Amino acid sequence: MIKKDLTKFAKYFTDYTELRVQENRNIHLAMVNGDMMGNSRSVNRGVSARVYKKGSWGFASNANISDDSIIKVIKTASENATYLNSKENLQKGELQKTDAKISKDFSTTKPRKTQKEMIEFLNIVDSHITEKYPELSSRTIVLSNLDMEKQMITSDGASTYSMTPRTILYTLMNIVKDGQPFELYEVYGGLGQFEDVFDDPRNLYPKLNKLYKHLNDKANGVYAKSGLKDCILDADLAGILAHEAIGHTTEGDIVKGGSVAGDFLGEKVADELVTLVDFAHTALGEQCPIPVYADDEGTKAEDAIIIENGVLKKFMHNKVTALHFGHDVTGNARAYGFHDEPLVRMRNTAILPGKSKLQDMIASIEDGYYLIKSSNGQADSTSEFMFGIVMGYEIKNGKLGKAIKDTTISGVAFDMLKTITMISDEMSWSCGGMCGKKQMIPVGMGGPAIKCKVNIGGK
Amino acid sequence: MNNKEIIRYAQASLLKAGAQKTKCNLIKKEKQEFNVAAGEISLFRTTFDTNLYLTALVDDKKGTVTLNNLDMENIDISAKQAVEMAISSKADKANEIAEQQPANEFVKEPTKPDLDKMYDRLVEFMAFAKEKHPKTIIEEINFDFTTSDSYLINSNGVDYFTKKGIYTFVVMFTSKEGKKTSSFNYVAHVTKELDKPFSKCGNIDKLLRESGEQLETKSIPENFVGDMIITPECLDEFVSYITGYLADYPLITKTSVFKDKLGKQIAKECFNLHSKPISDEIATSYYVTGDGYEAKDSTVIENGILKTFLLGLYGAKKTGEKRAVGSGCWEIDKGDKTLEEIIKSTKKGIILNRFSGGSPSDNGDFSGIAKNSYYVENGKIQFPISETMINGNLIEMMMNIEEISKERVNSGYNNYPWIKFNGLAISGK
Repeated sequence: MIKKDLTKFAKYFTDYTELRVQENRNIHLAMVNGDMMGNSRSVNRGVSARVYKKGSWGFASNANISDDSIIKVIKTASENATYLNSKENLQKGELQKTDAKISKDFSTTKPRKTQKEMIEFLNIVDSHITEKYPELSSRTIVLSNLDMEKQMITSDGASTYSMTPRTILYTLMNIVKDGQPFELYEVYGGLGQFEDVFDDPRNLYPKLNKLYKHLNDKANGVYAKSGLKDCILDADLAGILAHEAIGHTTEGDIVKGGSVAGDFLGEKVADELVTLVDFAHTALGEQCPIPVYADDEGTKAEDAIIIENGVLKKFMHNKVTALHFGHDVTGNARAYGFHDEPLVRMRNTAILPGKSKLQDMIASIEDGYYLIKSSNGQADSTSEFMFGIVMGYEIKNGKLGKAIKDTTISGVAFDMLKTITMISDEMSWSCGGMCGKKQMIPVGMGGPAIKCKVNIGGK
Repeated sequence: MNNKEIIRYAQASLLKAGAQKTKCNLIKKEKQEFNVAAGEISLFRTTFDTNLYLTALVDDKKGTVTLNNLDMENIDISAKQAVEMAISSKADKANEIAEQQPANEFVKEPTKPDLDKMYDRLVEFMAFAKEKHPKTIIEEINFDFTTSDSYLINSNGVDYFTKKGIYTFVVMFTSKEGKKTSSFNYVAHVTKELDKPFSKCGNIDKLLRESGEQLETKSIPENFVGDMIITPECLDEFVSYITGYLADYPLITKTSVFKDKLGKQIAKECFNLHSKPISDEIATSYYVTGDGYEAKDSTVIENGILKTFLLGLYGAKKTGEKRAVGSGCWEIDKGDKTLEEIIKSTKKGIILNRFSGGSPSDNGDFSGIAKNSYYVENGKIQFPISETMINGNLIEMMMNIEEISKERVNSGYNNYPWIKFNGLAISGK
């Protein structure tokens, strides 16, 4: 635990100042074909201060969190802000005042497991895989845990504490069919420390069976036929669409930098079936994968309803972009490490469920694809997006056909959203989302299945 | 304790806790950074970071703990934890540490930033971009000088120290005119000295100009199988795909398409790929590998023939193949045609400036979108393109290299020419 009395340092604040003490703790275990290729832990902690002077920011950080070091960090950040202000003289106005006072701790209350017990857990999962699926040419299991513990105060009176853990298990299976290698992965887990997320390895067995079936189907699959097709994007892809293709274009700093979404505020950008929200901590009555109750500028985090019934309603902001646009802050300022400044980041971004049944959606397509799993995704300031597809099936005459080999889909999100005609009534969250905008940070992405038209690559 | 005393104390602590073999690496970094956001220099920062990596081996079992709180009590606790983790793990004969080599120190200038010059170069670049490329928004610049002190010792007597500093300039930009928006693009330049304006480094000026042109894009006239000229800025992604197949994991799991290709032809004869970690030609040079060996320059692909895998110590022990003497700091030999001649000889194809694609499959198949790219027909650049997908296979592509340019761009972390490949499936909306 890093809890310190930070209020005693407030007397060193000269201008608007954020003071944050943070500790990130990681566990990484990697088992490859039964061998332990990774067995490590890390603790990275330190203090940072950020000072605002008429539009110029000064930032400083140090791994040493002694009182003397904290005072020096505040002074250096103030000097850096003064130095930059003397050079730039931007004459920007005051930032919106926020003073969240929130403490949230998601630490487990169960007795902590040792590294040995976690390795034993992997051993059991690995033994199950080798016993049940002897045809596999290779297998990899990675257990990864990140505990992010933050404490901060601001000169506006905010005082927050959070301990947000995430534990995920990544499983990769490889198989060779007719001399050709195929692979497929899945990620399990989510919010919580190991003890709360993985209490019994047997709970994973049905999921591993599904992964193996999908891999086998893919190995016997066909290449997709390229072109603009009717497709159903399952929850995993709807989530990445919400995050990559829409979410990023509506982040205040990206809008300020020229994103196409800047021209569309208040306009219809999607079919009216579509509502897209960046949830702060709770969605549809349930805890989100990455709950954020207060951001790293001391702002109470609220949901940002970005698209409501097809109309673009809101951008996500930190204090600077809110000032620039004359909007309210949304609690989206987040930093990954103690040495990082908060950027405009998403938290838990999702398209809301509709009323259709997945089976009816499949039945409504004569010639198209049901796309289930993505490897990665990227989007552009124009909202043109690309997602790698590693699992999917043909749809022929309203029924699922053969699995398809790896491919890519693409489109322009603000065009594609208008082609949505059906949204399923069930949604799910991806549990391992990591966003890489300057700093890596855990994010939640989710959605129902959506029926739309997208370009698909093929041979 | 000074840094040398800290790392020696850490090694002693690991041995005292029961480690049979140890590796300790202490890295201290100081960074001075200017940030530009949406055309304004908005943040200046100073950060100090420290990481101490403690690796313990017990009966061929390994555990590693990383910490940045370096008081003696915490080092002792972490050393004990590393040993306990090793004991909890599984024995693997491939877990080893580097054998003894003569101790060495590498101190490479500059080790201190010229802050005023940094600021002046940044202001100069912003003014240049505003005047010469008024439609282009400088979305973001991260410009830093980072110095690092790295100590690496192990219980076999390995003892290295490296001190170096480097300037890194990364700019991201988008053009905007009315409601028209271009695709964003970005470019990085790494250097040891600030001897010339960034607008004159590599293709930065050209890429900014092209961003303005890309406000107006068109679809390719028809789907076709044709040529793809990959620019030096975009080539790094494809080199990383190829070198990725030569690394520890795919070779250990035998999923690499090149697992049986050592000494065999994997690319056209004109293709030569070198790793130059200790060369002065590449600014991001390094002198000691992560495993604890002095780095050396090497040729990975010579006249199209695979000369070495890129295995670390563990991968080498695991596969029975040779350990690589270096990796990264890539350089590709130049060819004998100018870029203009290469474009002139292209009947139908694209110039690929940026690639947004899914990770290639184990068999080398890949697909993705051509970004910030141009359509070429009958030897002439026609127009910037949109919504264009490329499908290909990396293994086939390497055998289908048609031309390599005389010109190269040294970004400070690699040195690449333009390369023309043929036989790519290119499709529009």
